[in-house]
Amino acid sequence: MVLLSAPRWLRNRLTDRFWRVQEVLKYARHFRGRKNRCYKLAVRSVRRAFVKSTKARREKKRFLRALWITRIEAASLEHGLKYPAFISNLLKSQVELNRKMIADLAIYEPKTFKSLAALAQRRRQEGFLAALGDGKEPEGIFSRIVHHY
Amino acid sequence: MRWGLLVAACSFRCVKRQLSFPQQWATFARAWYLLDARMQPPGKIAAVTAVRLEGRHKPIYHALSDCGDHVVIINTRHIAFSGNKWEQKVYSSHSGYPGGFKQVTATQLHMKDPTAIVKLTIYRMLPKNLQRRTMMQRLHLFPDDVIPEDIQKNLVEELPQPRAVPKRLDEYTPEEIAAFPMVWTPLFAGNRRLTHYGQIHNIKVDH
Repeated sequence: MVLLSAPRWLRNRLTDRFWRVQEVLKYARHFRGRKNRCYKLAVRSVRRAFVKSTKARREKKRFLRALWITRIEAASLEHGLKYPAFISNLLKSQVELNRKMIADLAIYEPKTFKSLAALAQRRRQEGFLAALGDGKEPEGIFSRIVHHY
Repeated sequence: MRWGLLVAACSFRCVKRQLSFPQQWATFARAWYLLDARMQPPGKIAAVTAVRLEGRHKPIYHALSDCGDHVVIINTRHIAFSGNKWEQKVYSSHSGYPGGFKQVTATQLHMKDPTAIVKLTIYRMLPKNLQRRTMMQRLHLFPDDVIPEDIQKNLVEELPQPRAVPKRLDEYTPEEIAAFPMVWTPLFAGNRRLTHYGQIHNIKVDH
């Protein structure tokens, strides 16, 4: 093509290609292989990484809950109670702590956790007495439900 | 046991914070446990051991934090399978070469290597990830009571046996046998003896 005037010689040329490429590569720096250096390979990997990260946000909630449950089970076994007994009796005593808080208490507040385990054990014994025993009321009862309304 | 502080300290980056609770050292230390496998089913032994090797008995457990402990199992030669498993349980392996499929009963495997049954049971109970081999390196199996000195020095706690070992009849003292209450009088006490066709005859003893 014959360019007949000076203005036609000046094209719009991309001047900030470097920074556009860096925007993508900065997310790929910790990858393995050529995809942490080469833009064409990195673009695909970075996109997949973002997609996986988005989808994993739902899995993270499941994973963390399972981790809390494992930790609570370990801590309650240290006090002689199994996890289902512990959680069910805590709920029956109207202690509505979620698993995250109980797991944190088990790590950072061991004496508090010990008292929670004792409460659950006591409620468990009262449950057994109510089911199997005479019908006499034990002293200092924990199994009566408190209504706040 | 106070698990708290090192976990908290690791999660802070450069934030200067007034910590009001005392420093708890050795939160992530590895403990050495002893377990006696005499007269125990290998499955129950393996269940207890696998929990300890993974670190699931600690409230600070995380799969990536390498918080498992060492477990030393003694008397693996004297484990006790229930039922007919000594004859019926089959351990299979393949060498990779054609015609290399081997099937061995539990008895044969136990004769060949007294620690193999417990080792395989624990290996198969651990999670199937890359940490399994590391956890198996922290397992120490001994067929008898003899433990090397350096391992014996490390032992911290003995774990209770998972199965309550029953006493044999000859292990009871005569006083205990006499003291045991008789619920019903047995049919063949004293001079009454069962002869053929199930007839009970009072046989007179001539002195």
